[in-house]
Amino acid sequence: MTELIGIWIGAFLTLCIFSFLYKDNPFFRFAESLFAGISLGYYIGIVAVNTLVPNLFRPLFGDFVGHAHLLIPLLLGLNLYTRFIPKIAWMARISLAVYIAYYVGINMVQKLQGEVVPQVGSTILNPIGGRMTPVDNLILIVGVLSVLIYFYFSIEHKKAVGVISRVGIWFLMLGFGAAFGYTVMARVSLLIGRMNYLFIDLLHTTADLL
Amino acid sequence: MNLERLVHIDRRIIYLLIALGTTIPLLLPIGLPVSSTPPVERLFDKIEGLGQQEVVLVSFDYGPTTAPENNPMAQATLRHCFTRGVKVVVVALFPIGGVTMAGEILEGVAGEYPDLEYGVDYAFLGYKDGAQAAMKQMMGNAFAEVFPQDFFGTDTNQLPLMRRVVNHEQIALVVSFSTNIIGEWWANLVNAQYGTPVAVGTTAVSAPKYYAFLDSGQMLGLLGGLKGASEYEQLLIDAHPELMTIYQQAGIYTAMKGMDAQTVDHAIIMLFIIFGNTVYFLVQRRDARRKQHQA
Repeated sequence: MTELIGIWIGAFLTLCIFSFLYKDNPFFRFAESLFAGISLGYYIGIVAVNTLVPNLFRPLFGDFVGHAHLLIPLLLGLNLYTRFIPKIAWMARISLAVYIAYYVGINMVQKLQGEVVPQVGSTILNPIGGRMTPVDNLILIVGVLSVLIYFYFSIEHKKAVGVISRVGIWFLMLGFGAAFGYTVMARVSLLIGRMNYLFIDLLHTTADLL
Repeated sequence: MNLERLVHIDRRIIYLLIALGTTIPLLLPIGLPVSSTPPVERLFDKIEGLGQQEVVLVSFDYGPTTAPENNPMAQATLRHCFTRGVKVVVVALFPIGGVTMAGEILEGVAGEYPDLEYGVDYAFLGYKDGAQAAMKQMMGNAFAEVFPQDFFGTDTNQLPLMRRVVNHEQIALVVSFSTNIIGEWWANLVNAQYGTPVAVGTTAVSAPKYYAFLDSGQMLGLLGGLKGASEYEQLLIDAHPELMTIYQQAGIYTAMKGMDAQTVDHAIIMLFIIFGNTVYFLVQRRDARRKQHQA
């Protein structure tokens, strides 16, 4: 019975969201707010149950001596809430600094080792050899160079630089067009999912449970 | 011809046609053929070539908002692994609904294989916050440090599978089903730093940027959106025809069925683009003639 009620509530909320296609209305606003609130509540619960309890509280209170070092992240986390006390709000910056510094450190290596170097390396290629055909290689080289030159604004885009920039613009337009086509496919896929829920899942589940 | 009415066509007509174009193929499947592409084939061939004791790490990095695209590819990949007898470790790194999706999909697919034993053939470790930190720790150090218990509260080291899967050295392949950026992190963090082969099944919105990682060799394969999922399903059925009975069940949502609706919708969109551009140029020509007459 709860499954039946749940699936019909889902259908009602789906139609509330779709009602925006006609015009903005209280049903849409209600569904939108409900979605935002439930997402946040769900996230807090998930983090508490799946991360804080097994990785922090259980080891800390189960074997305090062996896991005393976990007091540091616990205090750093609690310290973030000092921003709500005006007199000691500055202390929250310490925790924030640790958090940001950690992810800057990870991302610096990640971006260089995982993006910049491999991507530059795969663009420096033998136009004739390799996995792709010579035409593909030529398109790649011309495309990368022309787009990079388009984004180089320290010299005026005139004469030769202007022509190459124009080629770069065409490559950008082709790229954005392909990305837009993929985006259309993604949005249609989500519509397909909702229509499947309304016309197949809802009716099948209702018929099965009744 | 009243061009003004054609220029200002009511958008609700477009909504209605798209709605019909989506619904009718779902209710009356067309069965359009699906052809596969190399990025999908490479992932398929990799799993098809894995031995029965090799381990695949499957990461659910998406939520219910992109389930229509990601669910079919996750189901197809898990079915492929279980059919081949490959061991699977499942984690979730997406905060809003990743673990829920992982639990539902894994329960559904594992239920189709009654001979599978939890803890021996597959393990579900649950969700962990801080995706990059979790990836670095579990692949670089140990899974048990990040996931001391599995999703059901069992000590990770008590699971027979997890006793031999310590870190990246025991993982033959990582497959991430993602929306947005987490799939990218598997490629530019895990593959770059540990050399573990990575494949990503992602939403169509994110797929264009992943081709750069695919072409540079940082990713082994790519399932892009519903099309990628349908290609994988077709490859799976071609290689393992016994799975056809699952995909032919009435009322079950599959990527191949979704692609029928996708194709019809895209045809409607293309017709409207052609229509809109034709009307635009007709209006331009009419206005030019009027100016000529006035002159």
